[in-house]
Amino acid sequence: MTEVIIVSDGLLERKIDVQAGQRTDLVLLVYPGVSCEVKMDVRLLGEGAEANLYGVYVCGGSEKVRISVEMHHDVHHCNSRQLFKGIAGGTSKVDFYGKIIVAQDAQKTEAYQENHNLLLSDEAKVDTKPQLEIYADDVKCSHGATIGSLNEEEQFYMRSRGITLEDAKVLQMISFIAPVLENIQDESERELVSTRFEDAIRKLSK
Amino acid sequence: MSKDKEILEGLTDKEYEHGFVTDVEQEFIPKGLNEDIIRLISAKKEEPEWMLEFRLQAFRRWQKMPVPEWAHLDIPEIDFQDIIYYAAPKRDEDRPKEIDPELEKTFDKLGIPLHERAALAGVAVDAVFDSVSVTTTFRAALAEKGIIFCSFSEAVKEHPDLVRKYLASVVPVGDNFYAALNSAVFSDGSFVYIPKGVRCPMELSSYFRINAAGTGQFERTLIVADEGSYVSYMEGCTAPMRDENQLHAAVVEIIVEKDADVKYSTVQNWYPGDAEGKGGIFNFVTKRGICKGSGSHLSWTQVETGSAITWKYPSTILKGDHSSSEFYSVAVTNNFQQADTGTKMIHIGRNTRSRIVSKGISAGRSQNSYRGLVKMLPGAYNARNFSQCDSLLIGDRCGAHTFPYIENANKTAVVEHEATTSKISEDQLFYCNQRGIGPEEAVGLIVNGYAREVLSKLPMEFAVEAQKLLQVSLEGSVG
Repeated sequence: MTEVIIVSDGLLERKIDVQAGQRTDLVLLVYPGVSCEVKMDVRLLGEGAEANLYGVYVCGGSEKVRISVEMHHDVHHCNSRQLFKGIAGGTSKVDFYGKIIVAQDAQKTEAYQENHNLLLSDEAKVDTKPQLEIYADDVKCSHGATIGSLNEEEQFYMRSRGITLEDAKVLQMISFIAPVLENIQDESERELVSTRFEDAIRKLSK
Repeated sequence: MSKDKEILEGLTDKEYEHGFVTDVEQEFIPKGLNEDIIRLISAKKEEPEWMLEFRLQAFRRWQKMPVPEWAHLDIPEIDFQDIIYYAAPKRDEDRPKEIDPELEKTFDKLGIPLHERAALAGVAVDAVFDSVSVTTTFRAALAEKGIIFCSFSEAVKEHPDLVRKYLASVVPVGDNFYAALNSAVFSDGSFVYIPKGVRCPMELSSYFRINAAGTGQFERTLIVADEGSYVSYMEGCTAPMRDENQLHAAVVEIIVEKDADVKYSTVQNWYPGDAEGKGGIFNFVTKRGICKGSGSHLSWTQVETGSAITWKYPSTILKGDHSSSEFYSVAVTNNFQQADTGTKMIHIGRNTRSRIVSKGISAGRSQNSYRGLVKMLPGAYNARNFSQCDSLLIGDRCGAHTFPYIENANKTAVVEHEATTSKISEDQLFYCNQRGIGPEEAVGLIVNGYAREVLSKLPMEFAVEAQKLLQVSLEGSVG
């Protein structure tokens, strides 16, 4: 079962140990107005352990959001996946740091990490540091990071079909964070969260 | 056929092929580092007062600086008082204008002929042996076009205005520990000036050779490409095999004016140490260029196969609007080698573009890291960066690491980064083996294919050498 954490102001520190054959799924939600520092330290300790971490942050004011994830692959045959997506507007400042560490004996590891960001205003700033530290050779590891703005061609497509620019932007942002929210298994909870983010995004684009 | 044979021979030849020592009479200054030593170096080079002042100022800054420790490297403590900072082959008093035949033979052996008639067609060479430049070829032919290509020491004497204008304008004296050290004790290097609108008709190249034991090499290179000019510059280097570690701390500065285009290529083949990790060069260099004017372009290509430890981040400051820069790198580490290398792309101007392609290959017990910074400043409207960093692991006792830093403060700027780490797949090897290609050869083939995107950016003269080098560096790493 996926655990959903609504992050509040201040420091959130979590150490997670995943034993052999166990699986951990976690979704982190950072709503507008929340300034926080999140520190996740995940250790995959037994064969077949799996960890999936997802996160979304939407900042429209003067928030400061720092997220750091360390994913330790200590033994062989473990999988991990990380997907963090965020929107930075206003004068907010986002820092993302994510590191995958694969120990020497952790062969057959599969570890992936993605961090994508939308930058909405000139005063907002996003820094991202995705890192790989790998000491085993029979592994598949990758990370990807992007910082960009909303695609204007998509906006044009929607506007030429009668959708206002404001609505188009909202749709773009909703679909941008949707891949994270999809991982909330409980349907009613997922809808609740989606609506809350949609409202927040609507306010943001005004 | 003969080329194939050469490659095969290279594969079976276990020795570092440039590891010989040239037996020439050399003059040394005493070991150690203090203001008197710096005055002595400056006096040996008959430098003007301002140059000495520059050195002393750098030395005073350096004394207060801590040794950088942030890199993913295990660097043994270096005793800076145990290094000879200046070593030069003695000139024959009777024939001061001629090159010592021993030196000529050395460079011939390295494949760098110093006679213009014998030289590689279309490549001008500045050959640096320990602390001095031995000769610079094709100077007259280049001077006809107004191009200045000479050793740094000569430039200080003959073109002081240009040197004073640009020296330390891209890498300030106090930029970092090793740049400050270099500014205090630098010996020789190359100076290039391409005047307005001139397209340099041949490749310019510098070849650095460390020969003397107990010394360090501190070269300084300054390249200025004036408005609308073009130059392609290549750098190569080798050193003898020794059990001691030798320090090489260089500074390269490149100034690219409006609409100018500079292509800078390096094939770094310093002695990497033996299979047990003994000896080898510590290669701690600062290379930086500035795209000063609008529409300027700077391209870095590097093939890093040598050195016991590499600490190197060729960078570009994209100041001019519409300027662009690329960084293509292949870094190979084997045995106990360590490399922490990458680039910095600082976007200041509008519509600036940069592209990073880095291919790391680690084998044996080596550690290979990519470290890079992409920074979009608030004024970098519509700036764009794409980075691709791949690592290939050969063997289960080596490490491959990726440390990108991405900072964006402009909403119209777009930054993309992706990195992967993997090993040569069994399927690829099986495919080759099935067709009669042995495991070692197959690895060479796959690695060359993997690095092709970067190798294809090298000037032709270098590309062949680089390909061979890749094979030799990896030999013994399979099975």
